[in-house]
Amino acid sequence: MAELRTRTMEVVAQDPGVLRDGRILTTSVKVPWEDLEPGPVGHRVCVVDYDSSTQTMYKPTLVGEDGGAPGRDEELMGDPGFHARNVYALVMRTLARFEYALGRRVNWGFRAHQLKVVPHAFEEMNAFYSPEDEALVFGYYRTPRGVSFTCLSHDVVVHETSHALLDGLRQRFMAPSSPDQAAFHEGFGDIVALLSVFSLGEVLLTLLSGGAGDGTPRGGLIARDRVTMDALMDSVLLGLAEQMGGDIGSPRAGALRRSVRIEPDEAILDRPEYEEAHARGEILVAAMMRTFVDVWTRRLDSLGTIEGGYLDLGRVAEEGATIAASLLTMAIRAIDYTPPIHIDFRDYLSALLTADGEIRSDDSRYGLREGLAKWFGRYGITPGSDTADGRWSAPEGPLRYDGVRFQSLQTEPIEMFSLLWANRKRLRIDPGAYTRVASLRPCVRISPDDGLPLRETVAECTQYVRLRADELGQFGLTPPEGMPPEQELTLEGGSTLILDEYGRLKFEIYNPLPRRRSPSGNARAQARLQYLWENGAMSAGASFAARLATLHRRRLGLDDRIARSEVW
Amino acid sequence: MATPPTGIRIRSYNVGFGDCFLLTFSYASGKPRNVLIDFGSTKQSGTGPSGGMKEIAEKIREDCGGKLEMLVATHRHADHISGFGGDTGKVIIGLEPEIVVQPWTEEPGLDPEASGPDGGGNGALHARAAVARLSAMQAMAAAALEQVPRLQRAPGVSKTVTEQVSFLGETNLANLDAVRNLASMGKKHVYAHFGTKLALGRILPGVQVDVLGPPTLEQSPAISHQTATDEEEFWHLAERHLATVGGTDGELFPGARKARQIPQEARWVIPRIDRMRGEELLAILRSLDGVLNNTSVILLFEVGERRLVFPGDAQLENWHYALRECDEAEAIRERLASACFYKVGHHGSLNATPKSLWNGFEHRDAKPEPGRLATMVSTAAGKHGSTARGTEVPRKVLIDELTKMSDLSNTQSLKSRSVFWNDVEIDF
Repeated sequence: MAELRTRTMEVVAQDPGVLRDGRILTTSVKVPWEDLEPGPVGHRVCVVDYDSSTQTMYKPTLVGEDGGAPGRDEELMGDPGFHARNVYALVMRTLARFEYALGRRVNWGFRAHQLKVVPHAFEEMNAFYSPEDEALVFGYYRTPRGVSFTCLSHDVVVHETSHALLDGLRQRFMAPSSPDQAAFHEGFGDIVALLSVFSLGEVLLTLLSGGAGDGTPRGGLIARDRVTMDALMDSVLLGLAEQMGGDIGSPRAGALRRSVRIEPDEAILDRPEYEEAHARGEILVAAMMRTFVDVWTRRLDSLGTIEGGYLDLGRVAEEGATIAASLLTMAIRAIDYTPPIHIDFRDYLSALLTADGEIRSDDSRYGLREGLAKWFGRYGITPGSDTADGRWSAPEGPLRYDGVRFQSLQTEPIEMFSLLWANRKRLRIDPGAYTRVASLRPCVRISPDDGLPLRETVAECTQYVRLRADELGQFGLTPPEGMPPEQELTLEGGSTLILDEYGRLKFEIYNPLPRRRSPSGNARAQARLQYLWENGAMSAGASFAARLATLHRRRLGLDDRIARSEVW
Repeated sequence: MATPPTGIRIRSYNVGFGDCFLLTFSYASGKPRNVLIDFGSTKQSGTGPSGGMKEIAEKIREDCGGKLEMLVATHRHADHISGFGGDTGKVIIGLEPEIVVQPWTEEPGLDPEASGPDGGGNGALHARAAVARLSAMQAMAAAALEQVPRLQRAPGVSKTVTEQVSFLGETNLANLDAVRNLASMGKKHVYAHFGTKLALGRILPGVQVDVLGPPTLEQSPAISHQTATDEEEFWHLAERHLATVGGTDGELFPGARKARQIPQEARWVIPRIDRMRGEELLAILRSLDGVLNNTSVILLFEVGERRLVFPGDAQLENWHYALRECDEAEAIRERLASACFYKVGHHGSLNATPKSLWNGFEHRDAKPEPGRLATMVSTAAGKHGSTARGTEVPRKVLIDELTKMSDLSNTQSLKSRSVFWNDVEIDF
């Protein structure tokens, strides 16, 4: 029954601060249909409406066939059941976006299948993903104008869901590695959240209609000078930040505002103020948001105007939503093309360009890849690959397939390992290291070029070497200053292998272990070692991933490296 | 030139978890002069005086001969100022200090309740905002404290977390009575920041006292951690919220239907949410505790070439300006290096004795030779932090180092109910 494939649910479009005609802007979203238990509880999400601050368990809500359309604003704000349905819909929509982009089922970053979602967990201005509790928790806080619920902020819900999904795709990205990796989870979460919001035409329509003056949209038209890059940055990006920042809006308006205001600077990643994880993540967001607005503006240029310099407002919003949705798909799909360990922004750019190029060879309509390369470059993010187009390079020559059974390569990690082992020299596998195939994921993606499926298998291979600081020389590495010779260390490396439908290697995306007896060429590993040592990631009990809650509250202040050398 | 003192006795009273130091300068002629630095406690010692804080207040009166020349309240934490309120506060008021020194953040003109800005332009507005935030934080502490009974009832929350929320909550509560009493005391009041000149010639002849902290916001924005980050927005919003609501009670969804029974799928989750709630409260309290600690006045007493350091609870961020950022940092480090006495910062916590400061002290010595650095700590173990995480107060490695390299007096080792103080005597 085709009509049961999706369920339409009503959600708050961004947050209760974003109004249209004086009312909270809501919109309909489609989520995969499933037979839900009260909660709602489905096969991937279990909403538990328990408030720890008041120790109250609200009655689990049912999702009717109407998808839970809200009534007046007071009902929307005052009905915990609507809040529960809102988070359910947004988490499921985000999951569906990931599964669509990646062409397969996507697991959470833990063993169980259902993510626990707690819409009113406690009275606090915070929301976070807790992997050890398999949960997303959302706080609420009181303001002079009422209670602000983080579970009603579209961007907050999607941001936190992205943490849970990225954790499922690349568990090692939550480990300490480099300033870029520390920033990546936050930056990626923000990108997915914002593009998710902007992929809703209703939101863009509202923001574009919000201005004043001569260019104010009238009768469904908008003046050309209101859709220039500067004008859209102002009306759409800063406009959203402004509305988000209202009394009962999203607490993260400031982050968006700052991202928009970061001026392009090719040396920005070397500036000390951008070493801190949040600030650095905002650079990634800045590059993506400028790409979005630039591509959108260029698309509108190609449309031409009607009625003396005016454009059709609905069309302008629709084009923006389409571009946001395309960039969102690209941003997610790229994760499959990143190395399994040690992500940096440059690798992410190459992953974006390669993943998209594989499935969508013709980029002429929107110029999305061109836009990404241009704007990332202006923030000093050049591709990690040294090819002319910035994509990962194809491997040289075929692999050896002695005794490897093609059929099992898609499903059996041990079969994949046998292929790796047979080609260990060629694939930079250190035979002495602890090695495992961390994941093996067959996927089917539909190419918009010809509508035909693109079948790939994505395998992550990770390697670990344990040694003491005084053995680092074997890998051409030098212990950082102050590291005792008996310090125990683990070096990590790994590769992502992309295989085509015949099991042939298409790409090998690697950050290998430093090579033994190769004193040169290990500069990245040396820099990483330095970073880990200076940031205390090697001391007992240290954990960067201790809790995203802490990261969300983390603040600037003293230079961490100075602080570390000063404490007892 | 004023005749310098011939010696000093530094007496630390066993207040349990808190600070209370009486400095008595003796002179070849004339009466001794007394400086009281802090008088507060959040957890009294089981081996302290049987009469508690009242007995300590009476002892201070006796020890200073009924008169204080100077009173310093390093910052507004309860474990440093609680004794200035209530009955004990009346005793201290009776000692009629000539001058009262507090950090700039206590300036009444910056009080959020004051009627308008004090004409200092943007700087003053920012300072007022920072002070308003301190008040918001203390209101937050009160709100956190109200949660303690619920945490106690929740099976998912560990006893340690509940105890620490309770302890830190109480430490950070606004001590209105003590604050009022402090404002009423002293012929002269100084709200000090880095570089404030204390004119003490008549009050403490021959003693120079330099203020090394806290820096002002202009000097070091990091001091209140209020740089342009989400943190700022957090406290800003928290402040508005608390100003209006003033608590966490009040039904969130009046009339909403509650579950009659906890659904099965929720039973696995609920203890975990309760546990997170406890840990979140604790993390917030720790964060605001650090901010208040960093408003501590840091004083350097100097008699000739002999120097004594009293940093209150200043943590790294506060110290950083004097040691690294200010123009005179190198000269300050040199002067600190020659110190003969160091009051161990923040009860011996891991980040209140900068290692570079400690390693710079020239009179550290593994052998108990004459002229060896004297150190004093007022602390009580098991109240703050966790040994497993390396955050226990006092930090064991620091105490080991202090014991090894200096003459350490620790209030924790006091066991007598009648002799409830440690003394360090230094001849100049």
